[in-house]
Amino acid sequence: MNETDLILGIVVATALAFDFTNGFHDTANVVATSISTRAMAPRVAVAFAAVLNFVGAFISLEVAATVASDVVEAGAITPTVVFAGLIGAISWNLITWYFGLPSSSSHALIGGVVGSSFAAVGADAVLGEGILGKVLIPAIVAPVVAFIAGGLAIVICYRVVGAQRPGPVTRGFRLGQIVSGGMLALAHGTNDAQKTMGVITLALIANGNLADGSTPPDWVVVAAASAIALGTYSGGWRIIKTMGTRIIKMDAAQGFSAQGAGAAVILASSHFGFPLSTTQVISGGVMGAGAGKRVSAVRWGVAGDIVTAWLLTLPASAAIGAAVYGFCSIFGDGAAGPLIVSIVGLALAILAFARRLRTAAAVPAV
Amino acid sequence: MATIVDTKALLETVVYSLAAGVGVTLIFSIAIYGMARFAELGREGRTPTALAFGSLAVLAIVAFCAVITLGIIVMTTK
Repeated sequence: MNETDLILGIVVATALAFDFTNGFHDTANVVATSISTRAMAPRVAVAFAAVLNFVGAFISLEVAATVASDVVEAGAITPTVVFAGLIGAISWNLITWYFGLPSSSSHALIGGVVGSSFAAVGADAVLGEGILGKVLIPAIVAPVVAFIAGGLAIVICYRVVGAQRPGPVTRGFRLGQIVSGGMLALAHGTNDAQKTMGVITLALIANGNLADGSTPPDWVVVAAASAIALGTYSGGWRIIKTMGTRIIKMDAAQGFSAQGAGAAVILASSHFGFPLSTTQVISGGVMGAGAGKRVSAVRWGVAGDIVTAWLLTLPASAAIGAAVYGFCSIFGDGAAGPLIVSIVGLALAILAFARRLRTAAAVPAV
Repeated sequence: MATIVDTKALLETVVYSLAAGVGVTLIFSIAIYGMARFAELGREGRTPTALAFGSLAVLAIVAFCAVITLGIIVMTTK
């Protein structure tokens, strides 16, 4: 194995680790509604979400194509640049997780790659139009659409079934949540796993293994699907222990409406290749379904947190990505820089996990 | 701005998301309404009306399944 292959190996392993943490973090978003309305038992919901996350990763490659070709100039960067971007994203995710701030893994990933590309090649490597048109504007529009869809759906739903006895209505919507929850997990797997596929593809293009504009090879799709599904499954067990502390209480009809709205927005966006923050879209659907019943039932502070995350995540992860690239470049073009960063990063991550587990019992389920 | 943003794709995303997000809930609500009325009227012995609501529920469930299937087909065929 030569040195460039070693760097590529580190990049692929780092990308899959990112994908795993993405699934781990987002389990709560995908299963919380089904569990809180008692549509599904927690263990069943988590296993169901993991399986559908895996399946979802196979149904589209449009988002992967956007990440691989519309964010940075694939031909102008190296695997080390992609590695630095991934470290930027993982670091920002860990920092926000440690301090309990809401963050978007998707925005962190794109910010990290943009920052490291800018540091390595300059402004020419950053495709500003692609970032604005494919990432930033859809990032603002999608949660708003999910909020409106969730709100409209629950208003219409109450008009149709409002006069009926609550028992059969609740049982019916709990049954429906098996489908809407499944669609949400499928949508989550589709959009989020593809971001990792896109980044690995970018590294393969940068290393000369694939031609510019190539789609992800099959092994990349399978690896990314497996990593996010395993992350979802692993994350679930910890979330189950903290259920009932942070999750919004809602009835089965609201749960169905929120999940339906979230799944519709994520699937439609994936179809057109828009890489979204699935967390923000699902939050938008949940808040819409809450506001449709009673405006004061919504924790509007969450909306403020989302805006803060929008403002902070991209520049912060970009700055870390740029700094990591700068550090790696001190050691030249070889594998030494990425290896040192990987070892130090892993040690810091373990330390952060250990400290966090000692000081707090619960993982925030945003 | 229109040249940077794929306005057509963004607008289609908004329209499809709203139509699917609201439409699926509406169809499923009609199915539940039909089922609830079918059970209620059946208990009261009003069989013909109960059957009409039962048929409405079945139609709505078929439409619900069709929309979900169509969504998956559209996603996988691009």
